[in-house]
Amino acid sequence: MGQLLDVSLFAATLRMVAPILLAALGGAICARVGLFNVGLEGLILVGAFSAILGNYLTGSIAVAILFSIVITLVFSLLFAYMSINLQANVIVVGIALNFLAIGLTTFSLRAIFDVKGAYYDKDMKGLPKLDIPLIEDIPWLGDVISGQSILVYAAILIVIVLQIFLYKTVSGFRLLAAGENPVAARSLGLHVKSIQYAAVLICGALCGLAGAQLSLGNVIMFTEGMTNGRGFIALVATMLGQSNPIGVAGASLLFGFMEAISYRLQNFSIPSHFTSMLPFIVTIVAMIFFRNSGYKDEAKKSSGSSR
Amino acid sequence: MDRLTDTLKALIQPLLAIVVGLIIGAIAILIVGGDIVETYTELWRGAFGSFYFTMNTFARATPIILVGLGVALAFRAGFFNMGSEGQMVLGALSAALTALYIPGPGFVKMIAAILAGMIAAGLWSALAGWLDSRFGMNLLITTLLLNYIATLFTGYMVTYPFKDRTGSALQAQTEMIDSSVMFTKLFKGMTVHSGFIIAIVLTILLHLYIKYTSKGYEIRMMGGNPLFASYGGVNRGKLMVLSMFASGAFAGLAGASEVLGTSYRFLDGSLVSANFAWSGIMATLLANSHPIGTAVTSVLLAALQTGGMGMERNTDVPSEISSIIQAVLILFISARITISFIKRKKAGAKDGSAT
Repeated sequence: MGQLLDVSLFAATLRMVAPILLAALGGAICARVGLFNVGLEGLILVGAFSAILGNYLTGSIAVAILFSIVITLVFSLLFAYMSINLQANVIVVGIALNFLAIGLTTFSLRAIFDVKGAYYDKDMKGLPKLDIPLIEDIPWLGDVISGQSILVYAAILIVIVLQIFLYKTVSGFRLLAAGENPVAARSLGLHVKSIQYAAVLICGALCGLAGAQLSLGNVIMFTEGMTNGRGFIALVATMLGQSNPIGVAGASLLFGFMEAISYRLQNFSIPSHFTSMLPFIVTIVAMIFFRNSGYKDEAKKSSGSSR
Repeated sequence: MDRLTDTLKALIQPLLAIVVGLIIGAIAILIVGGDIVETYTELWRGAFGSFYFTMNTFARATPIILVGLGVALAFRAGFFNMGSEGQMVLGALSAALTALYIPGPGFVKMIAAILAGMIAAGLWSALAGWLDSRFGMNLLITTLLLNYIATLFTGYMVTYPFKDRTGSALQAQTEMIDSSVMFTKLFKGMTVHSGFIIAIVLTILLHLYIKYTSKGYEIRMMGGNPLFASYGGVNRGKLMVLSMFASGAFAGLAGASEVLGTSYRFLDGSLVSANFAWSGIMATLLANSHPIGTAVTSVLLAALQTGGMGMERNTDVPSEISSIIQAVLILFISARITISFIKRKKAGAKDGSAT
């Protein structure tokens, strides 16, 4: 057991949590304005690809992150336009977006890098690791918390910022109101559509960051469909956390921990098939125990407002 | 007359989507520096250029049609079954193992293999339906997550307990099934097999079932207006489990027909990488869950895929163009559903079903 639960496992947990958490926060913001975003998976994939592309074209990490944010923003604009302006069924749009993301990334992988399946360059630099002074010197904690990629810290920061934004600021209240009761919000003179647009764009930016952490933080490469269900797990994290940033962070932590454990268990003589299954099984089981009773109403509301 | 225009409408809209898809595809071809006319000619040739290629396209369309029909059934009832991939691989594995280890004459084994595939996949799919109706777990999410579990489980089964150790030990696959269990090929030397006939027959049967039986009416009612359906005495939970079972069974049949008709064994990852299940879901979305429309769009998607391969052989344009065109189609579709919805709204919602 000591061999299983060592320092590096918890450090790996933080690394695995970041993409799920960032995307789940994006999903939460969308859910808060009444849009159930099934397209997270596709958005992360696009983010992961654009991060690698930006890095490949410029060699700069900052530009790579910017690239992934901008391109996922464009992508999420598509989602926003279809679901808000054209009033399409959000679930169908989300699914379509996932298809589009897979199609575009495999095509671009072939067209730009001229490879099939995966792109990897050993000279490519990943996200810089940050050593935090003071904390770095604390024995156990230092090894876990310090030395992570900047996006891991960004994710933690964003949780706090979002929590304050949603529950302590006027624009946060407006955002909540727009999702809670669009008609009432409109009668107060709020521009519900622009609030929804803003939420979808925030979600896009967060998914871009999630993708960048995936392709430049956890590993330094892009493989076809490398999100591997993380977008859907993030969606569950959104639901379990009841679209509340701190709750979402808790749920993401659980799933990230499971992912880290599933990698760790491969060192024991357990077939990798079962260890890779673990995050998905835990996610499904979590859906039973932490059933969100308000979710059904939320779904009704989202389909109501989208139609 | 009304019925005829309805059927025509179901076909015209996907065709319009395809035109838009081809235009975007042309832009993509220009980006990679190909010649549009030449590329599309090769795409056409690869799909329907000769009798052999046409039959090849039909062979590829077979599992896509079957998956699509299952998904169409669930969609009609308003249930987003996204788990076809997992259901299909489970069905394929069960069919392969049944064909390998059940004694008896070839024909009996074949029937047993098909049934095993359908039941295994159906139960797996019904599980998601039950979880939703019993625990209120979102069906869309559970079916998506169950895909990964099913794929990994089948991978384990053919990597360890049922691995073929007779030939090259490199591939994770079952042994080859006996030739008496295999589906007959429709034409000598061609890939298309009797599974295609099954798919076409089932297409027509499903169409009639949804349209003319009382159960079919319940399904349409549930999809069109769940509140009205429950008011009319339809048990949502029961209908959900049953229609999810049927939906999964179609996907299982698709897997079984691939094993018995094409690969003759279960090879880990072969069904997933061929993208049959997701193509089936795309075909259903394209045809707006109309069974006959689904079969037509399945053939079109299969043609795009086989044509893409032919195109790659003869030009410098990568076959991934096909995935771009498909993605555009699907995006066009989500907008189209909207347009038809707005129209329906304007018409005073005189028809609640999603025809």
